[in-house]
Amino acid sequence: MSGTHEEDLASTAEVGEAFDPRAAATLLARTRRQALREFDIHTPLLSLIRAVAVLAGYGAIWWSVRGQHPYTGPHGPVFVVVVAVVALTIVAGAQVTRRATAGVSGPSLLQRRAVVAVFVVAYVAVLLFMVALYRAGVGAAIVYGVYPASAPLIVGGAALAGAFAAQEGWLGLGAALAIVAVAALSAFTGPITVWLATGVGCCLVLVGYAAAQLWLQKA
Amino acid sequence: MPVGALDPVIHVPARLRIVATLATLPPGDALTFTRLQEMLDLTPGNLITHLRKLEEAGYISVEKTGNGVASRTSAALTHQGRAALDAYAAALRDLIGGL
Repeated sequence: MSGTHEEDLASTAEVGEAFDPRAAATLLARTRRQALREFDIHTPLLSLIRAVAVLAGYGAIWWSVRGQHPYTGPHGPVFVVVVAVVALTIVAGAQVTRRATAGVSGPSLLQRRAVVAVFVVAYVAVLLFMVALYRAGVGAAIVYGVYPASAPLIVGGAALAGAFAAQEGWLGLGAALAIVAVAALSAFTGPITVWLATGVGCCLVLVGYAAAQLWLQKA
Repeated sequence: MPVGALDPVIHVPARLRIVATLATLPPGDALTFTRLQEMLDLTPGNLITHLRKLEEAGYISVEKTGNGVASRTSAALTHQGRAALDAYAAALRDLIGGL
């Protein structure tokens, strides 16, 4: 680091300016708030995108299975909608994370990768368990209905809750646990309604989470 | 409590913003010079000056990796720096409460 013209200016300003303690307190609070917002990978916008995605994905599946007697599960074009919604959510999440963590290095990077690995393993395990249920002769109402509608959100929500708890992110922890609760309770509504109940319930949780995030940012 | 009781290394607007920004990262994490400059909207020379003062006080550690165009400078708040900011914030609260 070499001496510069700016260095002289900075030193002069430093000596000449009287920095009022109240102004310092305001500056400290504002800088903290701005930095927290800049580094945040769980933005209100992302929560809203996820809310729309979960409603669109689960709603599309419910639309495709409504009126099935007996229940056979989702078929055909609905999978295109689900894949598009999942892809959109992943891309949006990756974009926000990349922007928030640009230039940041250190232990938190490893922690984030570990969380992603936990999610991948959890979802693969959920999928494998679904195959195991099918091979064990469990009916379509469970294998293609109640289980895939609720289990991924129960497992994913619990994993997310653990990650939030480790970071003392209490608002995120509350939202993750609410998603677990919605998914578990929706399972009682049966193989058709479970898709609608889970989609609407999780959408409401995520919208509430986004609103709380915004309120905290402005507080 | 007199204003002079505030840590003079931190009690400068630019340095307060640098330390407060780095303190929002998890302990041990570092931020590149470029991102810090973008976030604080400081000129490179000004930022270097303040980073050097904070480094001399032991409040931040500055690490340079790579060579030439690929070189990258990162700054991280040390334990001492985090403790100094906590003490500064507590002193500010006392001071404002007493005003």
